[in-house]
Amino acid sequence: MILILSKNQETTTNEVIKWLLAMEKKFIRVHEDEFFEIKTKEKRVYIESKRNCFFIDEITSVWYRRGGLKFKRFKYDHPSVDIHMNEHQHWLEDYIIKTIESKKHINKQSTSHVNKLWILEQAKKADLDVPEYFLAEHTNDVILNKTITKPITGNITINGFRDYADSIMYTSVIEEKEPNDFFISFFQEKIEKDFEIRSFYLDGKIYSTAIISQNDEQTKIDFRKYNLEKPNRNVRYNLPKDVEEKTRQLMRSLDINCGSIDFIKSGDKYYFLEVNTVGQFLGVSTVCNYALEKEIADYL
Amino acid sequence: MRYFNLFSDILITKGASRILISDLQRNVSELHSLELHELIEELKTSAIEEVLGFYDNESKEIAQEYLDFLLEKEYGFITSGNWDHNFPPLSYDFHDYNIISDIFIELEDISVLNKIKNAIINLKIKHIVIYCSKDLSFDDFYEIDNHFKDSAIESIEIFSSFNTNVNEAFFQNLNLKTARIHSLVFYNCQKAPFEVKDIFRFTLNFSDQDLKISCCGKVDLKYFSTNLTKVLEAVNHNSCLHKKIGIDRNGNIKNCPAMPQSFGNIKETTLEEALHHPDFKKYWNLTKDQIEGCKDCEFRHVCTDCRAYTEQTHINKSGLDTSKPLKCGYSPYTNEWEEWSTNPLKQKAIKEYGMSFITELFRQTN
Ligand code: SF4
Ligand code: SF4
Repeated sequence: MILILSKNQETTTNEVIKWLLAMEKKFIRVHEDEFFEIKTKEKRVYIESKRNCFFIDEITSVWYRRGGLKFKRFKYDHPSVDIHMNEHQHWLEDYIIKTIESKKHINKQSTSHVNKLWILEQAKKADLDVPEYFLAEHTNDVILNKTITKPITGNITINGFRDYADSIMYTSVIEEKEPNDFFISFFQEKIEKDFEIRSFYLDGKIYSTAIISQNDEQTKIDFRKYNLEKPNRNVRYNLPKDVEEKTRQLMRSLDINCGSIDFIKSGDKYYFLEVNTVGQFLGVSTVCNYALEKEIADYL
Repeated sequence: MRYFNLFSDILITKGASRILISDLQRNVSELHSLELHELIEELKTSAIEEVLGFYDNESKEIAQEYLDFLLEKEYGFITSGNWDHNFPPLSYDFHDYNIISDIFIELEDISVLNKIKNAIINLKIKHIVIYCSKDLSFDDFYEIDNHFKDSAIESIEIFSSFNTNVNEAFFQNLNLKTARIHSLVFYNCQKAPFEVKDIFRFTLNFSDQDLKISCCGKVDLKYFSTNLTKVLEAVNHNSCLHKKIGIDRNGNIKNCPAMPQSFGNIKETTLEEALHHPDFKKYWNLTKDQIEGCKDCEFRHVCTDCRAYTEQTHINKSGLDTSKPLKCGYSPYTNEWEEWSTNPLKQKAIKEYGMSFITELFRQTN
């Protein structure tokens, strides 16, 4: 039995599930708003929510896409009992999550939130080329037009902002100095790119796509700003073998076995930018005919 | 030396006297000369300077213009020193999880749907096309849509005869109460009952023609589509019948209602059983590369096929009809489109299909 942890109506999950159905592989889909209780039957542990109920030892593989297993916590009136029971429940939950993560899996609940700064350091250790970066509260050390800034958060939008297009914090080039100090922010050397590369990584296999936009001013800095009239060209690409090997090393050191990795190609160099574990990859998968949703279903 | 690299999402289909360049990312195709094709081929094995060197001064200019054109269209890019071998070719494999994706039903009696509804749901069919020889009522449309409310069905397309009860309020109501109806065509309608604006979830068309099942299978430029999934399917499979199932007016299960062979009747055979008939999938892998005429045609990867109405001139070793679709008026050898129904070479087949009325109709209207 395959366990899928995801959001309701998440497209990528839906597409993978269609393949699982065609392959007649059995699965359980857990939504983000489900809360489980831990129970036992004849010495076997099972967990139960309003929608799902299954034995932990039934699970053979796990796809951690979004959300995660959440548990109902019981409260007790006596404060000391409550503290004790809280810890008791914590270890039971921890046991369930650890047991599930020890099965064949695609990503884990415990390593799903990646720290962009930490990853850059690990990438350097794996001997990948990383553009110079620093943190600062001011623009004193910024070389204008040669430095970019971008969010270090996973979510790059601000909810409820005027309109959606304005709420996305794209990578942007710094064109003027800021007179005042501000909250500590991330700065990075701007790389003159030939093009960007997005690589999908699954258990050691790498599927890369070149995202070509050199003819296109509007998309020069960040390809998420789509110019819909003349879309960028997304075509299959092979990273050089040594870059692939270093990427594998990096992913192993981060304990992430599935994700999208962004690079910039500049001359002979391949600059590592970031790893994204929850990103959408179906778009590039489709135009390159990589059938990644099938690869995932095969793996599970 | 400089080298020209063609992007892997540019598909070039060579015909007898022209090529079709399909941009599979931008979903457009363009016709070009064999000359351009030759140049593109040379650029795959020689540097730009070498290729230009093959030509005399006058032709060199033309070759340079072609090259500029390829770059302007962003069909490729230039590298120096060598081709960029990190760009691998596109894979033309076709991946699809559907058992059956389309069902085409010729409907006389709407109760037939009760019989096959469960099979449609089980097989996770995505698209339904219904041709009804009668006129359908509001309740009929509603019932058709409602049958599939808990299914994988994504779209329902219905052809119905027109009746005068059909007015704007009818569609407003239908728009509110249905979810999967995607396209409605009313034929036999002398005058559209109101001006159709683009306000419904479904597309709506009124036609004064007396549409018959035998009107299906027309080949025309306007039906061609450059779409990666469709092209990949056409490269590997039959572009009409792959993963399609049909039911004719008598309940016979076929590849499409107009095909001759029946694989059982819905009265005693389930759709699943029919699918297992050894011949059911025999046309699924017949691509245009194996079809007479089409195999020399530059449109073969963007054109849809028809196996129900063919010129009936060729049968291959496995007994499959590999003749050109009857309703194609295009010749890949002369590059001309002609009216198919009056083509003298096709009259024998037209007679056999009992379609002489189409020939007549065309003569009258011209
Ligand atoms: S085979 Fe011909 S008649 Fe049948 S569905 Fe295809 S195009 Fe239409
Ligand atoms: S010959 Fe006609 S039917 Fe055949 S591929 Fe060309 S346009 Fe299509």
